[in-house]
Amino acid sequence: MFEGCPGASMQDFREGIKETRQENGKRQSQLKQWPIQLHLISPLAPYYDEADVLLSADCVAYALGDFHKDYLKGKSIAIGCPKLDDDKEVYVDKIKSWIEDAKINTLTVMIMQVPCCGGLLHLAEQAVKASKRKIPIKAIVVDIQGGILSEEWV
Amino acid sequence: MEKYLEKSIKEVIKEFPKVSQILDEYNIGCAPCSIGSCMLKDIIAIHSLPIMREIEMMRKIEKVIYPKREVKMPLVNELTQGTSLFQEKKYSPPLKKLVAEHTLIKRYLELISKIIEDINAASRIDKDLILKGIDFIKSYADKFHHAKEERILFKYFDENLDIIKTMLKDHETARGYVKDLFEGLEKEDKIIIIENLNNYNLLLKEHIKKEDEILYLWMDRNLSAHQVGRLFAEFSDADKNIGEVETKKYEEFIFSLEERFLKKD
Repeated sequence: MFEGCPGASMQDFREGIKETRQENGKRQSQLKQWPIQLHLISPLAPYYDEADVLLSADCVAYALGDFHKDYLKGKSIAIGCPKLDDDKEVYVDKIKSWIEDAKINTLTVMIMQVPCCGGLLHLAEQAVKASKRKIPIKAIVVDIQGGILSEEWV
Repeated sequence: MEKYLEKSIKEVIKEFPKVSQILDEYNIGCAPCSIGSCMLKDIIAIHSLPIMREIEMMRKIEKVIYPKREVKMPLVNELTQGTSLFQEKKYSPPLKKLVAEHTLIKRYLELISKIIEDINAASRIDKDLILKGIDFIKSYADKFHHAKEERILFKYFDENLDIIKTMLKDHETARGYVKDLFEGLEKEDKIIIIENLNNYNLLLKEHIKKEDEILYLWMDRNLSAHQVGRLFAEFSDADKNIGEVETKKYEEFIFSLEERFLKKD
């Protein structure tokens, strides 16, 4: 039976949230740049030079409790939504420029488990295919309650 | 049990020979290792068995070491939960490159028994065939492949680790076999040629198995994403030195041997 788009279907997790140990103090942000939205960034910005770059779907950072500590730390970032953003061919060009001009070291693509999010990984793969220079790409899939479903080199 | 985890595998097997059979059951082939100084706990960590398999194996070992102790084995349904014993292996891109190179080397190894079957050490044609094989081994398997491991990959790890020392020793032993093979060829001594090609075949098959099934997977678990990127770039630079034309030449060489020796079966 068709139940609509899985990416937009309503789900309520309130019951499932467990009370965990109270954490005191503040965590430092691991963000080392601005802007971060893929339409706004320049792939030639100095913080992308030879960097390990994280390309994250917009929702990932909200779902994943330890996003800064475990995934953003040490990386330069850009974010985008493969479902709602326009002009995604610009995204392919920018990723290609990261690879060929900024000579980034690795690209980690973090997406949500919902089917439409796979589009972001597809854009990255298109860019790598079109580039003369090759780099390793890692894909990390996050479930909607913040678990890691898979983490592997593509 | 803790004190045995800190002991070398050689000592554990010497005291409890049955442990070697238990390790075999789980595809951990440490018993015949010539060095055998890895600690039991490191061997368990490096093989990364699915957790319930590891528990089962450890309990079997415990039962051998302490026969009077009551050791509870995991239930069958616990053992089959989630993961299988032989999972598909996924490597990072640089290690995938090395595994792909192993595939070409293994194709040559598979042909060795056919090559030596009717060899005539005095025939110019047969000599040429062995010489081309020596060129493949020296240029592709050693200078191209083993050199990437020795000059690049192993530098990312502590080279005093027993497993890396074992791999380096294998490379040296293989070079010795090739040197003796060449001498046998110059002397037109069929026995020396056959003996060294067979030795090389056996050594490399076992060596590649250890790397594909244990070492590379362990390395991947310990490399950061940044290191994987650096390794990939360094491997790509090293590959440029031999060049695509040379690589293609060796692929064609193996293909031509397969056409000649396997097609008649």
